[in-house]
Formats: sequence, C-alpha cells, structure tokens
Amino acid sequence: MAEKVPIREGAFIEGPDGGRLLANKCKFCGQVFFPKASTCMACYHDQMEEVLLSRRGKLYTYTVGHMPSSHFMPPYAVGYVDLPEGVRVFAPLKMLEDTPFKTGMDMEVVIEGLWREGDTEVWGYKFMPVKGGGP
Amino acid sequence: MREVAVIGVGQSQFGKFPEKTVSELGREAAQAAIKDAGITPKDIQVAYTSRLIDAMVTSQTVLKEVGITDIEMVNVENACSGGSTAVRGLWKDIANDVYDIGIAVGVESMTTSPIAGKLIPPDKDDLEGQLGLTMPALFALLARRQMDEHGARLEDFAQVSVKNHHHGCLNPQAQYKREFTIEEVLNSRMICEPVTLLQCCPNTDGAAAVVLSSMNVARKHTANPVKVIGSVLLSGGYAYLRDDITLSPLGSKTVRMAYEMAGVGPEDLDVVELHDAFAPEEILRYEDLGLCRPGEGVELLRSGATEVGGRIPVNPSGGLLALGHPLSASGVRVIAEITLHLRGQAGERQTPDAKVGLAHMLGGSVAGLEAGACGIHILAR
Repeated sequence: MAEKVPIREGAFIEGPDGGRLLANKCKFCGQVFFPKASTCMACYHDQMEEVLLSRRGKLYTYTVGHMPSSHFMPPYAVGYVDLPEGVRVFAPLKMLEDTPFKTGMDMEVVIEGLWREGDTEVWGYKFMPVKGGGP
Repeated sequence: MREVAVIGVGQSQFGKFPEKTVSELGREAAQAAIKDAGITPKDIQVAYTSRLIDAMVTSQTVLKEVGITDIEMVNVENACSGGSTAVRGLWKDIANDVYDIGIAVGVESMTTSPIAGKLIPPDKDDLEGQLGLTMPALFALLARRQMDEHGARLEDFAQVSVKNHHHGCLNPQAQYKREFTIEEVLNSRMICEPVTLLQCCPNTDGAAAVVLSSMNVARKHTANPVKVIGSVLLSGGYAYLRDDITLSPLGSKTVRMAYEMAGVGPEDLDVVELHDAFAPEEILRYEDLGLCRPGEGVELLRSGATEVGGRIPVNPSGGLLALGHPLSASGVRVIAEITLHLRGQAGERQTPDAKVGLAHMLGGSVAGLEAGACGIHILAR
C-alpha cells in the first residue's frame, strides 16, 4: 500500500466528519492565516494560536481546466472558497455530475489523495459542492 | 536625480525559432538597439539582462556576440516583469549618475524550455501551483468574477483577442499576423473555462533591447530624445488584504507612483502597452491604470477607444496575444514599442502625434501574494 504524505505538514486533519483545514490566528490582532504563518504578517506579533477552520464555505470563483497542470489531468476544477473565518482558500474542486459550479454556492472540504509519486500518495484538501446547499 | 533618455531600441523577430539559441535571439535585439542609438558597442558602460528559464550569465552570453565585454553586467529574473526590472535597474544607474549609458536586454527561448506547449506553472514548490493554479487558471478565475461583477460577456473577452490580433497584422515583427473573428476566438480549443486558446498568449522565442543614457549623451545623438519620466517597480502585497480579486492594489499603487513621478495622469496618455497574457486580463488593466473607473473596463473596450485609431490605443504592437510573449523580453519590448510611437516610427500602427506613453508589465504567481511584481515606465517627448 502506498505511503500517505500530506502536501503540507499541519495544513489539515482527517476526522470522522471528513476533516478540517488548520490555520493559525494572531493572538494580538486576530488575523487568521491559511496556510499557517510563522508570525503575524499584519502586525508582526509572534504569538500565534492554531485554529480549526469551518468545514463549509462559499465558492468565490472557479474554472475547469482542459489541459494538464503539474499534477492533474483534464478535466479538473480549481477555485477559491471563502470560509467564515475570513480566509479565502485556493483548492482543487471535486466535480459532481448533477451539481454544476456556481459562484456563491455552498462548498465543503474533503481530505483525500491528490496524486501519486512512485510509492507515495500525496494527500491534501479539496472542496466539493454541498448537495442540497444554497444558493 | 538626472533625467534619462531612451536613445536606442531593438527587437528580434518574435515567433517559434527552436533552432535559435538565446545568444542569437539576444544578439539580434542588442545589435538593433545599438545601431538605432547610433553608438558603438564600446560606448556601453553597463548591461542588465533579464531571462527566466535556464538562466545563467545571460548578459555575458548575449553581449559577447555583440562585442561588449569587460563592463558591469547584471542578470535579473522577475517572472514576466523581468524585462521591466532590467530597464528599471539601468534607469537607476543612469539617473543616479553611476553610469552615462547602458543597455537593457530581455530574452527568452520558450520553444526549447521545459514548459514549451504546457500551461505555465508557478515555482515548482509553490503550494497553489502544486494544487493546479496555472497562469491561465489564475486569469480564468478572474474572468469568472469579471462576468459576475462587471457584466463582462464571453464576446468581450474575445473582442480583446480580435483587436490585438488585428494590431499584430500591422506589426511586421509580430508572431501572428492574422485576423480572427469573435466566433473563431470563442470556438478555439478550451484551455481554462472560459479562456480559449486564442485568448492565451502563445509560446514565443524572442528578445528586445533598449539603450538608455543621460540627457547629455542623448543630445549628441538627437535633438529631441524620448525621456523616461516615470519608472516604478513594486512587488505584490498579501492576497488576504484583497477582498475583490478584480481590483489590483499592486497595479493601482504602481501606476499612482509612476504618474506622480512623471507629473502626468491617465488623461495625458496617448498610447499604452500592457500585459495582456490572457484576453480578459486586458480589461482589468484598463481599470488599474486609470484609463477608466473600476468596473468600467468592459465599457471602454466596447467603445473602441483602445483600438489603433481610437482615443487611447492599447497594445498597438499586437500585445502578448499576437506579437507574442517571450517572458523576460516583454518588459523591455513594451518600452521599445512606446518609444517608436513617440518618435513617429511605428509604421501602420502609429499613434498620431503621440507625446506621452505608458509601458506596463506584470509577472509572477506566488501563493499568498496578489502577484510577483508590476513594472511601469512612462515615456514622453
């Protein structure tokens, strides 16, 4: 079985509810960073605390690619999802046959294998439309 | 600081020339610029050369073919803004009285690069690049917001390509000299929805060069030299500070500083060359540069004002879409193009009585930042 390697250490956790993205937050000014920042880029304070981001957000924009990217064969979708914590995340999007993408639609995070490199499988995050979600 | 003049410009033919080396491409442009300046190679005191792919001592590699050695040579990389960065470095040296005359070269061989025929990715370790953010994907994501927020239609994006390909037909050095219809652009192969093949800049091999000098040197060669009245290069800010991605704090800040330095405003511009790597992008750049108000780029395009013969021609060269985009050459090439218009030497694409022009270039995708860098030069006669 292939060894699972995260695309970035500490960027997400898997869980029974499908997993969450891990960000950090400046204890001084409250700015949230994903991926985590080493110090606060807004106020330069270095007291940062880890925060779990919400599983659901809204699709800000998207595109479907029809030529290969570094790791994905077409067709593949990518986009930005806005999470309630004020974080906009770039991520691959899972395409569902019966749910076309639309800006503003509800999306939720899924943690899964992204691509294989020899005997390792690189794991990471994607977002997929919430079935029956708005708008 | 001293005033700086553009006294020589040169460009190689742009196209697919896998048989030509970088030194051959660069030599064509550098020799043309030196000849145009009416100087000899030994007059050059300093050189800046920009190249992105497989770069190593490119100034020396190119300029030894021209007869230039034993001077200060600097090699720079700043993604698609590399050419602007080379010119900016040379401008600073002359403005600050370090040297009196020098050359800036930009060169790229795209057809022999590892990314030939592929979607251009960010740096290999860039998180967003690994997750599928290619350059066309980035501008496709913007295009979707332009449609949602500004009422842009697919036909508007196609019109940018139709316009710039028409301009390319007027430029003997363009890679593509062919007219296209809106339908042909929209029906070309889909790359990243809604951006089709004919809305993407091609893989291009080519080079451009400019010779800059102090005004004292320039007046020995011409009575009416073209002056660089504004030169600004800025790196991008944090992306989290930008709520609406159709707005460019980087572009707006860079151009504001350039206008302030030059003592002009957008209403004074006669001609503009800008980064139109993907057709929808040109409409956003109208807004950053202040050619119209935010959100009104589509209206400006539809008015025809940005066509050759219009009120403010944009990319009369054919732009990156039709003239071609050898990445590091483009930032130098836009300055050469504006210079030709200010001198009245731009042939069929000439902007009538052009007095002030702006050369823009934008480059680089970095996870967490708006963009890599934006370089703007304003020229006047």
